Amino acid sequence: MATKAFNSFEMAQAQFDKVALLLGLDESTRELLRQPLREYSFAIPVRMDDGRVKVFRGFRVQHNDARGPCKGGIRFHPAETIDTVRALAMWMTWKCSVVEIPLGGAKGGVICDPHHLSPREQEQICRGWVRQVAKNVGPVMDVPAPDVMTNAQHMLWMLDEFEVIQGGKYPGFITGKPVGMGGSLGRTEATGFGVIFTLREALRELKLPVESTKASIQGFGNVSQYAIRLYQQLGGKVVCVSCWDQTDQTAYSFKKDAGIDLDTLLGITDSFGGIDKTEAKKLGYQILPGDAWLEQPVDILIPSAIENQIRGDNAPRIHAGVRVIAEGANGPTTPDADRVIQDRGIFVIPDFLANAGGVTCSYFEQVQSNMNYFWEKDEVLGKLDLKMTSAFLSVSELARSRKLPMRDAAYVIAVSRVAQACHDRGWV
Amino acid sequence: MTANAHDLPRFGRHFAGSGESISSLGGGAIGGKAHGLLEARRLLARFDAKRHPRIRVAVPSFTVLGTEVFDAFLDANQLRSLALSDAGDRVIAAAFQRAPLPADLVGDLFALARDIKTPLAVRSSSLLEDALAHPFAGVYGTKMIPNNQLDPETRFRKLAEAVKFVWASTFSLAAKSYARAAGRELAEEKMGVLVQEVVGLRRGPRFYPDISGVARSYNFYPSGHARPQDGVVNLALGLGKTIVDGGRSWTYSPAWPGVRPPVAPPQRLLDETQREFWAVNMGSPPAYDPLAETEYLLQAGLADAETDGSLRLTASTFDPRSDRIVLGTAAAGPRLLDFAPVLVMDELPLNPLLRDLLAAFEEAAGTDVEIEFALAAPGNGPAFLGFLQVRPMSVPSAQIELSAADLDHPGAVVASEGTMGNGCWEGVTDIVFVKRGSFDAKHTRAIAKDVEGANTRLSNAGRPYVLIGFGRWGTSDPWLGVPVTWSQIAGARALVESTLPAMDVQLSQGAHFFHNLLSFGVPYFAVSHHAAHGIAWDWLESLPVEFETPFIRQVRTPAPLRIKVDGRSGRGLVLRPEAGSA
Repeated sequence: MATKAFNSFEMAQAQFDKVALLLGLDESTRELLRQPLREYSFAIPVRMDDGRVKVFRGFRVQHNDARGPCKGGIRFHPAETIDTVRALAMWMTWKCSVVEIPLGGAKGGVICDPHHLSPREQEQICRGWVRQVAKNVGPVMDVPAPDVMTNAQHMLWMLDEFEVIQGGKYPGFITGKPVGMGGSLGRTEATGFGVIFTLREALRELKLPVESTKASIQGFGNVSQYAIRLYQQLGGKVVCVSCWDQTDQTAYSFKKDAGIDLDTLLGITDSFGGIDKTEAKKLGYQILPGDAWLEQPVDILIPSAIENQIRGDNAPRIHAGVRVIAEGANGPTTPDADRVIQDRGIFVIPDFLANAGGVTCSYFEQVQSNMNYFWEKDEVLGKLDLKMTSAFLSVSELARSRKLPMRDAAYVIAVSRVAQACHDRGWV
Repeated sequence: MTANAHDLPRFGRHFAGSGESISSLGGGAIGGKAHGLLEARRLLARFDAKRHPRIRVAVPSFTVLGTEVFDAFLDANQLRSLALSDAGDRVIAAAFQRAPLPADLVGDLFALARDIKTPLAVRSSSLLEDALAHPFAGVYGTKMIPNNQLDPETRFRKLAEAVKFVWASTFSLAAKSYARAAGRELAEEKMGVLVQEVVGLRRGPRFYPDISGVARSYNFYPSGHARPQDGVVNLALGLGKTIVDGGRSWTYSPAWPGVRPPVAPPQRLLDETQREFWAVNMGSPPAYDPLAETEYLLQAGLADAETDGSLRLTASTFDPRSDRIVLGTAAAGPRLLDFAPVLVMDELPLNPLLRDLLAAFEEAAGTDVEIEFALAAPGNGPAFLGFLQVRPMSVPSAQIELSAADLDHPGAVVASEGTMGNGCWEGVTDIVFVKRGSFDAKHTRAIAKDVEGANTRLSNAGRPYVLIGFGRWGTSDPWLGVPVTWSQIAGARALVESTLPAMDVQLSQGAHFFHNLLSFGVPYFAVSHHAAHGIAWDWLESLPVEFETPFIRQVRTPAPLRIKVDGRSGRGLVLRPEAGSA
């Protein structure tokens, strides 16, 4: 999974520039939306378990809040950069806009590797992060959420620190909290299910019965797991998944032509989504190189790991039978790969539409937390389906009527809504 | 075989306004009820509707949840073992309510609740409901919801609760008992769910049809000039629950719609006709009880119906000065529901339509049929008759002949000129009867409990029995008889209803358990205490007591009884073991 020499922010800006041109945005609006509104970069000193003090680098980037309070996750990743966070914050703005939730976009991160941190050390990072930005975040300003290698426990530590600082109870400060502690039912499933809700609609448009389709999936974390579950529930067959192997520090693909058994695989998977390859082999899975997921003879590819995975160099290896790519991850496809995919006539459900289920459900959690009244899971997932389906239909309708690629159509809808909000507020 | 959900158009999230009146959600079978409605729809397409321009006939819009959704719900929430256990109905129903719906269903269901704001009937449509031999008709739950809340979230929640309610009813004690009696494995059962628009009109806080009814092409109790093949129709004001539950309804022969029951004096009709009706509660929210079938139903009286203006087609008026019934509601006075405006005064040609429909469906099905319908008649437009259910009837064919003289047989334990069923049965040695001396209508609920106990004991011992009681078996009104459910008497081999001076009501003629009686081949006997023939109480009371409570007694005969019913003449006998042949 290559990440070298790739700048996500440049890619995000290039995508934006293309859409700004399509929309004919004026110069000041372009200038405003190309850059984040605010950025915070700070140090988080933590006393480690061995007594030493280690200083971690933390970020919070608020790209745009014209449509409502900022919303975005917090990533713990050793390769975190401010540019990655900027790009992800911008994508959050578009994502909230494309599914029409009244929120802006933000992202945060800490350069660290939780694999090598004790729970206490992680807690100190969480609390330190909040202490640094407590004045600039909150239920009416910026609402964080879990992201890469952060989870409900991290959110609870952050909430606790925020409430200590503010001297009150603010369950709407953060989302992704544990159920029963202000979390929303359905949040765990939301992103993966959201991917499949949009995929289901795409297959209907392409007149492909889901029961006749096969899929190959990159990643075996939360998004993939729930995407696989719902896709299989609808009748589809997943024949390949790939995941990161922490021990070997490389990725592998796990293939089974008869279809993977999700529950069995989950039984041999660690908490970071790494599948035990020895056990998998015993269960009859072929263990292939990390990139092999891309080359499988399937109808659907679902990249659900990290950014920059389908690139100009490997896109030609996508199997000729692939009809749909549903981007579960953020920014998995580079612009040059996009051109290859477009030439091949593959239907793309762009990342900030396909994986918007997470933020949509986070928004639901925020609403519930602010009311301190919580909904049943049926209601959460029912609303999620409607939101995702409605967003997909708007995008596909525009793509069809203006003969645009799906990604461009999604951007046109999202950017124009944000630009309009900036105009309406008199900012530009 | 029921149709498959994939054979129907997929639900398109534009249920009401799409013009597509039927659709499916999820895969698998659609179940018996939905299958029947599909068949009805096909037949209606060929039906000559031009002959009846004043009434539009159609199957009300519905979407059906396929049985795969039911399976996915049970499996994802690991509900099967609890469902099949002997846990109480409310325990099972509550567990179903707590469990989330399958994720691939909720969006469509939410869209449905968002787009429709009129009452919905959420009805069972199971695989076994399709079986002609032992149809599970009336065994499973139906829930009506007003669906008129302002916010779609509440409408969705209520719809989801109703779907889970129907799913849970698959595993009710009644269903389990029925399955045992029918020799079916409930584990094989799969439940489709129909979500159907309720036929009716809103009148203030109530929503209900002007007329609901059940029309059968074969009449087991022809009287007067009517012949069995003329059929029979039951009509009621409001929702069909009145008829299904065995409440008071108007029964007539479609060949003789103007013939009134021989009730004298006419004033008695006031007591013997429908006085209350069921409606969907569109007003103030009731107490929250998702486990109750009647959560959103209410009962109203004729005064309410008069206020609503819904007596126009259904009522006549009793004139106390002349001691006669004046047809229609032009005159002032106490109202009674005899449906004279449509049956006698031809205000709406309902009966000709029903006759044509019965004939058309009977011909198409190649057997006698039963049609459940509801009619809404707005004052300013054509009336609408909605098909709610269509199913074949099994009519007995064996030739048993009993003459009037046969009923004088000295060995008769029960002799009746009003029976249902056809054939001969032997091998029954147990009789459970309600005691004459201690009977009082105020104790009928306690009697139901005692009967249930006897039924359980005898069923567990594999001993079928003859059940004798006063008033209507299975009525929902405890003042009209013993309010048992079918599961409480499912082990009975023959059912006898009798009157007493203290319980002198019109007997049910098996209406409450009509399908159970037919499908299990259980003969039914109606015995009036006024009739020349009756029940040999003295002999019954002389038998040694096997078991007794303050209200009922179980006795055992020294040798098997013989039960004979002549389905053509309606005569029937239960004969003592030592009696000669009749």
